[in-house]
Order: sequence, then C-alpha cells, then structure tokens
Amino acid sequence: MSYLVKFIPIIFLLNFSFTELVYAKKDSKPVYKSKQLQVSLSPRKPEQMAAFYEGRGFSKEMINLLKQQCFITVGIHNKSNDIIWHDLSNWTFQTAGKTINDYERSHWKQLWKKMKIPMAHQSTFRWTLLPPELDFRPNEHEGGNIIFPYTETEILLTAEFRTKSDKTGKPIKITINNIFCAK
Amino acid sequence: MNSHKISLLLFLLFYHINLTANSDFPEPPTGIIKLAPYQAADMQIKDIDAIPFKLSETKGHWVFVHFWASWCGPCRKEMPAIQKMWNKLEKEGLKMALINTAEDEDTIFNFLGIYAPDIRALMDADGLVTEEWKPRGLPATYLVDPDGKVRYQALGGREWHKPTYLNFLRRLLKIK
Repeated sequence: MSYLVKFIPIIFLLNFSFTELVYAKKDSKPVYKSKQLQVSLSPRKPEQMAAFYEGRGFSKEMINLLKQQCFITVGIHNKSNDIIWHDLSNWTFQTAGKTINDYERSHWKQLWKKMKIPMAHQSTFRWTLLPPELDFRPNEHEGGNIIFPYTETEILLTAEFRTKSDKTGKPIKITINNIFCAK
Repeated sequence: MNSHKISLLLFLLFYHINLTANSDFPEPPTGIIKLAPYQAADMQIKDIDAIPFKLSETKGHWVFVHFWASWCGPCRKEMPAIQKMWNKLEKEGLKMALINTAEDEDTIFNFLGIYAPDIRALMDADGLVTEEWKPRGLPATYLVDPDGKVRYQALGGREWHKPTYLNFLRRLLKIK
C-alpha cells in the first residue's frame, strides 16, 4: 500500500505529459493546447489526495479537511521560445455563471497555523500548490494543485498569460471548459 | 601623466577585469539559466546523521545545490543522473548540497538508498531553507560559484550525467 502511495504523485505528474490534447470538446479532458502553450487540468479524487497526504504522515484532521475540497492538478508548459508570464490573479473560474475563488495560500497558512500543523507538513502542502506567479522560460514545465470548495457543476476557466521578457508581447488568452471536481 | 589619462587607464583596467570576469562564465546548455549573480543565502542544516552543514564553509569551490522531495516525480527521475554525475565530478572538486525538503529520515534514507546512495543527504526538516531559496518548483538546482554567488539555475530535472552537462560543469570547475 505504501508503495502505491509513493507512486501516486508520479502518476499525477506523468499524466501531464501523456494527456491527449483536445481543446474544449465535450467529454474531452480539460486541456488547452497551442504552439506556444499547454495548460492541462486534472481533477483529483478525494481518495487520491488523501492517499498522497497520508503517505506523507499528515494528520487525520488535516486530511479530513482536505478531502472535502475540490483538487485540480494544473500543468503548464511553455512551448514557445520566449518567456510566458503566469499570474494566478489573471485566472477566473466560473460555475453556473458565478465566479468562484480558489483558496489562496494565505488561507491555508492561517488555517494550518490555527490547527498547529507541523512546519514540515505545511511546507510539503505548499509545494503541492500551483505557484501564484512564475516567468515560464522556454520549454519549462511546472505544475501544482489549485483547490476550490467542492461543487458539482461544471467549472469554466478563463486565463490570460503575458508574453515576452518585457511582457509586451501579444497576450495568450485561454478558455477551458468541461472542468468537474472529481468525486 | 595627467588625471584624465589616469582615469582612462583605470577605466580600461576595470573594464578589462570586468570583461574577463563575465566571459569566464560560460553560456549554459539547454534547461539551465545564467543568472545575474547574487549572494547565496547561507544555510545551516544537518545531514541524516545529524552532522551540521554550512554552505559558507564550501567557499572556494563550486557547489551543486539541489532541492528535492521523494513525492516529486521529476526528482525521482533525475536523482540517478545526479548520482552518476557525482561519481565523476566529486573527485574533480565539485561540492554538493543535496537538500531534502521537509521529509522524515526514514523516507530520505529509503529513497536515497536506491537512487543516490553515495551522496550525503541534508535535511531541511521544516522546509524553511527551501523557502528562503525560493525554487521555481521541485526539483531545483543552483550552481554556486567559489565566491558564494549563485550563477546558474536549472529548470526542472536535467540529465546531469550526459556529456553536455558534464562538460559544462567541468568548464565551471576550472573557474576559481
């Protein structure tokens, strides 16, 4: 079992590169792909996330709280020859016509502090989150989780990425639909 | 010699030194960024045997500073390449700070026993050293020069054992 737990995150990460890329088709995986950029979203089941955090020795209290959320693992790959600027503040998620906000890092920081979660577990948790900002270099591929309150309805993502080292290039605007929290 | 000539001479001397210094640092291969150099944050951490390690004590050597965690897939993939590189370059003068981010001794021991048994494992037990270095993600590698300045950063995992990267590291080792 512990062997399986250790490999779950690898399976997550491998999924980024093996995902078949079809944009905005119903029943397809929620992925955006162009010549410059690839953004893939992989919803995670609560049991998957729980197994990962259990494997890292997280407390039951922490895991039970996380199991109630909607986890989506995001992979971003800059396929262009210049910098692409990722800024989570330029991402908007909507469901049923209303904007929903992912939990920010500050939310978790305060919560873990209140719950007296060990620093090591706080650190591991932070490293599993999608960076809020990053200047993606050519061919760079990074990823991480975004976390929402659980919802049954479809989520729509619109996001904008600035381009070129001085951010003056034509922005890349993406839309990804067909995003559902995994049960 | 008047003051203008002295100023010009000093300028040319300074320019020459500066030019030499810049050109000494080679352009890196794919996946490594050359940085505007900055002083590396010192770290005082312990290895898996509780023996202290201080980065500032490696001054005078190039240091391969690497952050990793066992749960990170690319870290698992990259680690054997680091071990192979280390087998070659340790005796050529490279120093290593292989820093695990916030995992326990058993996890580190089990992981490195398989993937990098000959490298000293440093433990960033609470994750604060990693935070201070602000990696782009895990794994993360920085190359620190003999003056303690961070000169290069690798993007994600690299095939450090391949000639392209070995030759690059060897070129760095010649810069004292």
